[in-house]
Amino acid sequence: MTTLTLADEIVVLMLDDGAGQINPGCASIAGIAIAGGILMELALRGNIDTDLKSLFVVNQTPTGDALLDECLKEIAAEPERHPSTWWIEQLATRYDDLDRRILARLVSAGILREEERKFLWVFSRRAYPPVSGREEREAKARLMSILFSDEVPNPRDTLLLSLADSTDILTAILSAEERDKAAVRIEEVVALEEIGRSVGKVALDIRTAMAMAMAAYH
Amino acid sequence: MEITSTIDGDLVRLNVTGSIDASTSPNVEQAVSVALAGGKRRLIFDMRQVNYISSAGLRAILLAAKQAKAGGGGVAVFGLQPDVEEVFTISGFGKIVPIAASDAEAREKLGA
Repeated sequence: MTTLTLADEIVVLMLDDGAGQINPGCASIAGIAIAGGILMELALRGNIDTDLKSLFVVNQTPTGDALLDECLKEIAAEPERHPSTWWIEQLATRYDDLDRRILARLVSAGILREEERKFLWVFSRRAYPPVSGREEREAKARLMSILFSDEVPNPRDTLLLSLADSTDILTAILSAEERDKAAVRIEEVVALEEIGRSVGKVALDIRTAMAMAMAAYH
Repeated sequence: MEITSTIDGDLVRLNVTGSIDASTSPNVEQAVSVALAGGKRRLIFDMRQVNYISSAGLRAILLAAKQAKAGGGGVAVFGLQPDVEEVFTISGFGKIVPIAASDAEAREKLGA
């Protein structure tokens, strides 16, 4: 069985299963969410740590995951310390193909399949529908479990919830009534992890900038 | 970092000195495992001598709270220094782990 990283899981959750592509509602912040997922995974594996001021490497031992190790190497090579918001933006900008790389590894792992689809009868595009959808169902079940129980959440699920909240996936998973019921719990759990808060902050900054640009255009 | 434990009935008090970060949080996790394996359900972290806590350190305390609660007990902390208290406040940790000013208050919050 393949163990998914948080970056893999957030891509699985962001996928529009029918279209086989990242949901357009998440597209503008997909790179931010994946970069955040990579940093969270490195933190959970004990390679990096954060505090209120900065993100720093504590163990340079490779994880064995090519994408994680590439990012770890880049963080380790940076002479100055920076806050996690800086690193989220840096990785998302530097690696502008993060979504394609994650999609490709999910195909290799047999979780998604790659298809060529036609649109407007002429143009073709790649689609990545899920093979069984089991991974998405399991991730959603974990999110629901955190939201609707009073258990202390584990760090991995806490971070997954932060990513889901930042990308607005929760609005698709939960009914309006469920969202209202879970609002306080979401706020509490998302606040727990520094990298989770940072991803939310960067995502909000992007959404605000886009809204201002749209308003100026109209 | 140093960590020592004191058993007091159904409760274990973990006295921590120094920094709780990625390199020292495994020691916290180990001390918590030993305490819980000994059948204790309630843990109090004496944080008066803790001058720094990182995200990995907070995670170790969160896991302790999760394990203790699963066994029907709980975790409380007391004696936070200002820098450490700021971390707890920003992360809203107090909503999951009771924060007390003194050992007596921590015991009270755990119903001990």
